[in-house]
Amino acid sequence: MAVLEVSGLTKRYPGVTALDAVDLDVRPGEVHVLIGENGAGKSTMVRCLSGIERPDAGGMTLYGERYQPDSAADALQAGVRVVHQELALLPNLSVAENLFLHHLPHRAGVVDRSALNRMARDLLTEVGLDLSPRTPVERLGIAQMQLVEIAKALSGQCRLLIMDEPTATLTPKETGRLFEILRRLTATGVAVIYISHHLEEIFEIGDRVTVLRNGKHVTTQEVAGLTTAELVRFMVGRDLAHEYPPVRPRELGAELLRVTDLKITPAAPSLSLAVRAGEVVGVAGLVNSGRTEAMRAIFGADRSASGRVEVRGRPARLRHPRTAVRAGMSFLTEDRKAQGLVLDLSIAANMSLANLPAVSRFGLLNRAAEAASASALAEKLRVASRGVRQHVRALSGGNQQKVVLGRWLAADTDLLIVDEPTRGIDVGARYEIHQLLLDLADAGKGLLVVSSDLPELLGICDRIIVFSRGAIAGEVPRAEFDAERVLNLAYSGYLKGVAV
Amino acid sequence: MRRRTALTAVVTVTTALALAGCGQESTDDPAPGQAGGKPTVCLVMKSLANEYFQQMQTGAVTHVKERNDLTLDSSGTQNETDVDGQVALVESCITKRARAIVIAPADSKALVQVVAKAVKADIKVVNIDVKLDDGALQQAGVEVPFVGPDNRDGARQSGKVLADLLGKGGKVVILEGNPGADNATQRKNGFNDAVSEGGLTLLDSKTAHWETDEANQVFASMLTAHPDIQGVLASNDSMALGAIKVIQERKANVKVASFDNIPAVKEHLQSGVMVSTLDQYGSKQAADGIDFAMKMIGGEQVTGWQKTEIKLITKDNVGS
Amino acid sequence: MTAVTAPRAVGGRWASQVLGEAGIGVALVALVAFFLAFAPYFGTSQNVRDIMTQITINTILAVGMTFVILVGGIDLSVGSVIALCAVVAGTAMTDSGLPTALAVPFAILVSVVIGAVTGFVNGFVTERWVVPSFIVTLGMLYVARGAAQQYTGAATIYDLPPGLTRFGTATFAGLPAVFVVAMLLVAVAWFVLSRTVFGRLIYATGNNEEAVRLSGHRTSLIKVACFVIGGACVGVAAIIYMARLGVASPILGQGYELNAIAAVVIGGASLAGGRGSVVGTLLGACLLGVLSNGLNLMGVSDFQRTMVTGAVIIVAVVLDAYRRRLSVRLS
Ligand SMILES: Nc1ncnc2c1ncn2[C@@H]1O[C@H](COP(=O)(O)OP(=O)(O)OP(=O)(O)O)[C@@H](O)[C@H]1O
Ligand SMILES: [Mg+2]
Repeated sequence: MAVLEVSGLTKRYPGVTALDAVDLDVRPGEVHVLIGENGAGKSTMVRCLSGIERPDAGGMTLYGERYQPDSAADALQAGVRVVHQELALLPNLSVAENLFLHHLPHRAGVVDRSALNRMARDLLTEVGLDLSPRTPVERLGIAQMQLVEIAKALSGQCRLLIMDEPTATLTPKETGRLFEILRRLTATGVAVIYISHHLEEIFEIGDRVTVLRNGKHVTTQEVAGLTTAELVRFMVGRDLAHEYPPVRPRELGAELLRVTDLKITPAAPSLSLAVRAGEVVGVAGLVNSGRTEAMRAIFGADRSASGRVEVRGRPARLRHPRTAVRAGMSFLTEDRKAQGLVLDLSIAANMSLANLPAVSRFGLLNRAAEAASASALAEKLRVASRGVRQHVRALSGGNQQKVVLGRWLAADTDLLIVDEPTRGIDVGARYEIHQLLLDLADAGKGLLVVSSDLPELLGICDRIIVFSRGAIAGEVPRAEFDAERVLNLAYSGYLKGVAV
Repeated sequence: MRRRTALTAVVTVTTALALAGCGQESTDDPAPGQAGGKPTVCLVMKSLANEYFQQMQTGAVTHVKERNDLTLDSSGTQNETDVDGQVALVESCITKRARAIVIAPADSKALVQVVAKAVKADIKVVNIDVKLDDGALQQAGVEVPFVGPDNRDGARQSGKVLADLLGKGGKVVILEGNPGADNATQRKNGFNDAVSEGGLTLLDSKTAHWETDEANQVFASMLTAHPDIQGVLASNDSMALGAIKVIQERKANVKVASFDNIPAVKEHLQSGVMVSTLDQYGSKQAADGIDFAMKMIGGEQVTGWQKTEIKLITKDNVGS
Repeated sequence: MTAVTAPRAVGGRWASQVLGEAGIGVALVALVAFFLAFAPYFGTSQNVRDIMTQITINTILAVGMTFVILVGGIDLSVGSVIALCAVVAGTAMTDSGLPTALAVPFAILVSVVIGAVTGFVNGFVTERWVVPSFIVTLGMLYVARGAAQQYTGAATIYDLPPGLTRFGTATFAGLPAVFVVAMLLVAVAWFVLSRTVFGRLIYATGNNEEAVRLSGHRTSLIKVACFVIGGACVGVAAIIYMARLGVASPILGQGYELNAIAAVVIGGASLAGGRGSVVGTLLGACLLGVLSNGLNLMGVSDFQRTMVTGAVIIVAVVLDAYRRRLSVRLS
């Protein structure tokens, strides 16, 4: 008997049919992969399965019983566990409290903290997160939060596990660990629905794959026997000749950014790096290796940092993002929901946020100009929407990512720092975004690209700086690109730690 | 960690309270309520933000300076209805071992309990301004003299001026004070007395919570609903001011009888739109109360209602 | 699917727009219809003018409050600050010895500056030490009230220049002049919020402050500016109060903050910030004003009036929430 059977599932949003009579069946112990372009309807499917949205038509059965969840609590009750695409942790509570929020261990109504922390520590160890369960969630980086979300889904009884892009910010180390857990779970008969834009993962973990396109079911197949090219064709309806655009040799210009003796905190190791005009510099490292913190510090997002940052030879103070933007820097944050998007404003408003002078005069907005420039960008980035006046909240995750990216493209600064630029973006659009980034470099801009997706860095960068344990462990020029070498550098700081 | 914080907090608070307690005992005055040989009298009032009580306090301070045989310790609440705050003030008077307390209660019943506590602690208590409830006093088993004006009679007198002017059948409305406040009730009763004695027709009676702005709005609606209104009985001058604005704006022929006699109404008495208000000599009331308190400290028996002077103010005696 | 999609369901979108924009207007229309039917004199021109005059002060306060609430703040001090502005500006007129023509503009300046300064203090403390504006403005509520009482010794100020009080009862094109002032303020606020960069940043900051900060804007400045605007509006309201009632007392304005907040929230704003509009706020203030006026005319007793007012506020916001969901579904 199938674990889950979905038939004719339909969900309409104003102006768009997100799911159009989709069928799906999930067998016990299988990892069923769901793929599709940005806006294809994957997350909508997840929201229907988890009781957050009520479908307009169609039925679901869970282990043969009618399944019609009205709320997230219903789904939980039925043993359906979900890791959503966007993080939904409570920032002020501790990791442990977040993990067990729905079933806090207690004695006569009083929370049993020692039991809570013990259980939390076990779970964290399982997902490979070396962290005190008492840490408030707001102090975590996005990958750590993602791991907490995963751990949360594993806390408690589970018959069907649904994961919506759990690995978008994870490095291979964490991903590997997650797959081990999934294999262990499926061995006990638990079924998994798994969504990812990293196609190589499908071959590693998937048993069957279902492809959605424009809300419609395209095909369901056994993974074994499929090729990447076939998958891509199912997804985007056309062939993708190359995974990465060609990197043309570029003339490097003057030094755009020089960072000297940057210290995130007074006790942290000091960091130095430089970016030249026309250069694409990759930043690699494991989760929590200090990459994001360093970028934030360069941009002046955190006050506690010290050191010298020069843009075009002129010192820029690390006080406030405003100074950084004025000096000609852009910064695409890794967490689009918390630090990037203004969900209740339109696509156009979000895209102009870092570039308001260009669409205004004497402090008055020129809304026509704003809409025009946003439309052009949306076209370029292939944002699937009902027009640039639509609220960002109603966009799919990948399309939201394109909007934040669009904001910084609009700002048109000399130096772009992009943290996980293609997080949640489908293979087709990925190629185009990579092309866009390379075009910028061709036009003489400097780029710092942070990514947990090593092939991405190897695909588009001129050199890669590798972070390990808060310090720069080394640098690899394009001529010597080699995944092994980068990974070894990324681990080096930790190995030293063990040796001592 | 969190649990430890909670524990620390509890310990800290307990220690602090304990220390405070010790401190109190050690500084205990050997001759209670006598500062420099003079007895201390506590004056506990309502909101000092109210001009009326402000005047009362000023009057008391001047009076005490003249008498020069007691120390005055006066205090007021945050607002007119702050019963809890006033109970705390009386309690601190008891703690300070004042010899006497002169109190203008924020509530005629709610204050009886703590007043009884004071009386039982052998502190003389004199009630001013609003009378404490007789039933409640009886229940508590104490007797407290009341020194104050007769609000009801005052309102009746002020209303009578209007009634005489309008004659039988004159159409009037009442602007009431805060519902539930004793002086508001008394004044309303007094106005009603004047209405029935003078044969007036009462068209409407509503509260405007003593406030100018609200009275302005409430009376505007009244005048719209009853364009034939001839007179307004306002329970205080602030509300009268709000009503007068409407009267002037619409050039209506409406006369106002009021209560309190604050400086701002003088021009209206002169211009004739206000026909009467009532001065209950607030500034003297506390002083009178203090006099009675001193008598009681001196061993005299004072009981019952010691009525204080009230005076009807009209165009003739308002001065210029 | 591409960036450009053909517009669909035009009729539905129009309906949704009406529902979305008109907002609380539906409830207001219903209420007006009810009073027209059951409250005598409600529709007379005199009474309509009365309502306009009566909502003026709350409208002005609520417009200022809209700015504060849009950036996720709250200002509990307006009721006290209006008293402080009024007594100081009132004294400036009665005691400065200036001729009316100078005294009144001077008083307006004084009043607005005091309002703006208290607003600045509220905003600055909130931002500088990252404390809830709820608590900071609650503190200011006491400070300003105390200051007003201290300043006047609790006395009521009267004998204001006749020029000012004449303005309070003057009409302009058949409308009360004070109401026209309030409408001008609404119009300016609407323009600022919907047509300027500053307005855009206000909404964005209320929605996701960190995103705005990381886009290179000084969000603290924006938030403090909103408190200053809120305070300046209180200063204007204080002048209107004196113009209308001819007196200024240090105890005036108690509870005004709650009326202003109610108007803003009834108007569809979110207390979490980022959502709301001055048009909504104006409608909210109208709703409250019409309600109190109509109930007065109907001769409903004091206690019933209090209950009905509370109940209508609750029903209005529930209707509004329902309408918003409906408009999303129709769009
Ligand atoms: N709340 C909403 N209101 C209106 N439209 C919505 C809403 N949520 C999603 N949509 C639309 O539904 C479609 C499907 O979105 P969904 O989030 O399911 O895509 P997805 O497959 O998860 O994409 P991604 O890979 O980008 O995460 C999109 O066109 C999106 O714009
Ligand atoms: Mg999605």
